[in-house]
Amino acid sequence: MLQMDGVQKIYRTDLVQTYALRSLSLRVAEGEFVAVTGPSGSGKTTFLNIAGLLETFEAGSYRLDGEDVSKLSDHARSRLRNVKIGFIFQSFNLIPDLNVYDNVDVPLRYRGMAGSERKRRITEALERVGLASRHQHLPSQLSGGQQQRVAIARALAGSPRILLADEPTGNLDSLMAREVMNMLEEINTQGTTIVMVTHDPELARRVHRNIHVMDGQVSDLDQRLAA
Amino acid sequence: MLGYYLQLGFRNLRRSPVLTALIILTLAVGVAASMSTLTVLYMMSGDPIPQKSARLLTLKLDNYPLDFNDTEEKLPSILTWTDVRNLREDGKGLRRTGLYGISGIVYPNKEGVKNFFADGVAVDADFFAMMDAPFVAGGAWTAAEDRSEARVAVIAKPLAEKLFGKESAIGRNLRMDSEEFRVVGVLDEWKPTPKFYRMDSGSSAGSDADDIFIPLSAALAAHRDVSGNTSCFSNADPGFEGLMRSECIWLRYWVELGSASERAEYRDYLSAYVQRQKQLGRLPRPDKSGLYNVREWLQEIEVVDDDTRLQTWLAFGFLSVCLVNTIGLLLAKFTARTAEIGVRRALGATRAQIFLQYLSEAAALGLVGSIIGVAGAFGMLHLLAKQSPDLEQYARMDPTMLATTVVLSVLAAVIAGLLPTLRATQVVPALQLKSQ
Amino acid sequence: MEIRPILSALRHNMTGALLIATQVALTLAIISNSASVIRDRLAVAQRDSGIDAESRIITQRPILFSQIDLANLIQTDLDALRAIPGVESVTITNQVPMGRSGWSSTFATERVPTAPSQSAGLYFDGGRLLETFGLKIVEGRGFRDDEIVNIDPKVQNPPPNGVLLTRRLAEALFPGQSQFVGRIFYQGNSPDAEEMRIVGVIERFTTPWAQTGPDNEYAVVFPARYLNPFNHYVVRAAPGAEAEVRKAMEAALEKNEPGRVSVGQYSVQEMRDRRYRGERALAWLLVSVTVFLLGVTASGIVGMASLWVNLRRKQIGVRRALGATRGDIVRYFLTENLLITSAGIAIGVLAAWGLNGVLMSELSVPRLPLDYLLVGVLLMLLLGVIAVLGPALRAAQLSPALATRSV
Repeated sequence: MLQMDGVQKIYRTDLVQTYALRSLSLRVAEGEFVAVTGPSGSGKTTFLNIAGLLETFEAGSYRLDGEDVSKLSDHARSRLRNVKIGFIFQSFNLIPDLNVYDNVDVPLRYRGMAGSERKRRITEALERVGLASRHQHLPSQLSGGQQQRVAIARALAGSPRILLADEPTGNLDSLMAREVMNMLEEINTQGTTIVMVTHDPELARRVHRNIHVMDGQVSDLDQRLAA
Repeated sequence: MLGYYLQLGFRNLRRSPVLTALIILTLAVGVAASMSTLTVLYMMSGDPIPQKSARLLTLKLDNYPLDFNDTEEKLPSILTWTDVRNLREDGKGLRRTGLYGISGIVYPNKEGVKNFFADGVAVDADFFAMMDAPFVAGGAWTAAEDRSEARVAVIAKPLAEKLFGKESAIGRNLRMDSEEFRVVGVLDEWKPTPKFYRMDSGSSAGSDADDIFIPLSAALAAHRDVSGNTSCFSNADPGFEGLMRSECIWLRYWVELGSASERAEYRDYLSAYVQRQKQLGRLPRPDKSGLYNVREWLQEIEVVDDDTRLQTWLAFGFLSVCLVNTIGLLLAKFTARTAEIGVRRALGATRAQIFLQYLSEAAALGLVGSIIGVAGAFGMLHLLAKQSPDLEQYARMDPTMLATTVVLSVLAAVIAGLLPTLRATQVVPALQLKSQ
Repeated sequence: MEIRPILSALRHNMTGALLIATQVALTLAIISNSASVIRDRLAVAQRDSGIDAESRIITQRPILFSQIDLANLIQTDLDALRAIPGVESVTITNQVPMGRSGWSSTFATERVPTAPSQSAGLYFDGGRLLETFGLKIVEGRGFRDDEIVNIDPKVQNPPPNGVLLTRRLAEALFPGQSQFVGRIFYQGNSPDAEEMRIVGVIERFTTPWAQTGPDNEYAVVFPARYLNPFNHYVVRAAPGAEAEVRKAMEAALEKNEPGRVSVGQYSVQEMRDRRYRGERALAWLLVSVTVFLLGVTASGIVGMASLWVNLRRKQIGVRRALGATRGDIVRYFLTENLLITSAGIAIGVLAAWGLNGVLMSELSVPRLPLDYLLVGVLLMLLLGVIAVLGPALRAAQLSPALATRSV
């Protein structure tokens, strides 16, 4: 599903070059639920940005769902994000001016889907996260857990092949965190690959496999074995 | 505290310099455009003789033939000699003068000065006292000299200097055309704006100061041609004598009353005068005569023309767009500092303090804008004066307008700052900008 | 494009949107009216005077002070002017077109006081007036030299037996007619008004005042030299000879009567420039107001759009993360701006009509033509798109990775 080999990412300023990723290699198989862990500054977020096609990289190769995405144009990467990837962010990243329904609608619009199809998908996704009755609410009128559920609905509505989650429970209290985690597991059992960046060991324990990132490299033993 | 805010305001001008520059420029351009046109309008509609404009009156009579098919809405603003002579002889009011424009070639008796063409007016001796014309030397001629058709003249200071240099002009002779006039008085700089005493509707002439004043009686006796409008509605006999006897109109008449309250009395006299003339077979149409004080007169002859009014309207439309723009830009400037405001609030600033601080910043912008705006207004007035000599006399900024300009632009900035400032006070206290 | 979500987003940025819309509305109202006034004034300033080569027609007005034998002095002056090399034709007249002061009289077709009359400029042709000004006769003929008479203002003179008038005046006096030569009309409509007969019709000849209305072409020409000291000499210079002719003219008139004073020497072109200075000044003032307004409004849109882009950096990142292409982002801001501009334009069109109505009733402003409003609408749309393009393109450059950062 996701295959990175020797991916290198350097952030340059006028004076310094910082290696965010030195040579990252990892594989995620279809249907897996993987947690990427590591201390802050280890390159987790950069990995996620690259995996989610939000950023480009300097060296190495990256195949997503069998397709080499290293050399794709900004436009093509946008399309891939839209169709194959669903995002869940730590701070939810709902668009504050739009109500719940319209927020879920955003990626579908970019996909150019017909109105009836969008409606069906939005309703379905909101039902799945149990927020169908709140579709008129603005994000500011919802609790954190509810907001994250809207974000999950938004990520699911496009039926992505892979879900990328960045500290999805980081901004939630433990009760809400558990609720969100349960939902992610349920989604995974229904067949969606999930890659989750987290530093919460409890969360990491609940997934199939842990990938530990340190200094821009995968440091985990069983991960190396798997590779 | 306000001083601290203003100081902060000025220091903050350097923040987001492009936005700041745009705000200042927008304000300055709006102020320059509106103030320059407003200045012209203000000067045009100004009272040239405020101390007595209410008791200085002129009049109109309807001497059209009975069946005359007049297409104009208004009566002409000039009179026949017959009427001017009668009104003078009746002697009503404190002072009175007839008046018509003259011109002639002046022969300077001086090396290196060529003959030149000069404009002037033929008036009665009372004219100078009525108009509060200031003398630097000598004075008006006497009523006796009026009666004797004396060849005497009052001249303007520039002409006196041109003809006689530094020497006193009093008692010297001035040759105009084939006549010699003895100079009895020299007028100081005297430029009533507008030149109400001989101004006509739609007339462009009358922006320059008159150089020469001679007795009306002498001008008539010498058959001096009329420089200005002459209108005849029926045939007149040939020559100047014919003109004087005719129903042609070409003179003006001004009367000064002892007080404005005598006006009703004068109005009655004028109506009675018209009735008397009717009995003599003149003024055959219904009495439409009008009496005007200086301010009413300027309105009657429409000194402020449509184009000036149009310019002023547009300039203020322009200013309003600039104001709306400033509101938008200030909103942008203040919104960009939401985090800063949140921190200030967290550190204990009250809403009122935030309000004052940001309004002070707007005022600081207005102050800088006004300096540039004043410079711009001067520039525009200069351009206006250059483009149209008729406007030159009006395109001058007096201290009142200067102060108005500064106040206006600061006020504009503060008004424009109200909404963005109110928005700034709504920011909730926070030590850090929350992610959206 | 997703208009409803944009509208709902706009609801939360209402103040800014309202400000921009107001600005667009005011600007549209002002510039469309300005444009119509500009066109009106410039059109007036460019009207045909009937004179074929305005820059080559030079007039000078010497004040003749030898009052002893004016008729003779005038003839000597004319002869001297005609002798100047490069002078094609010479005349003397009482006033010049667009000279801003002169004689007018009323003319009527009946000697009944209630009969309609037309006010017209009254020119005296001291010989060769048509030739010198290059005027065209469309019916009948001009004056022969032997028809020109001297008129002494001090004595009663017989009325001219034949006169010329302009076609416009003829059509106004004799509505519905096309043949005018031989017809009789009167100077005034009183019972003792002078009778005159038309010998020729001039295609076009503007009055000294060049009024704004159609009466700027109402003129009557008498075959006469009016013996007063304030006449205008007019010469027609050959092409290229204008400068020399002007100098020689000054010299010749000075020589005939040394020390005489001239009230300026002007070509008709210069007269035109002076006459229409006000119109042109207003037109240019309005042009600069229009340009400044467009600039100010554009700066407002740029400022507001930049602000919105900054406020929505995160949101843009999220949208990009969710698969929005750069084009989608640009389109989003363009659409948003178009919605605001259109709302402003809708109000602006009404405001333009309203302002025009007020201006028409209060001031001498023409009716606003529909095509001017249309051009104004297109201009504002274009301005909006151009102004927002910069901020929108900058927004499109924002990295989608902004979505994973906390600020």
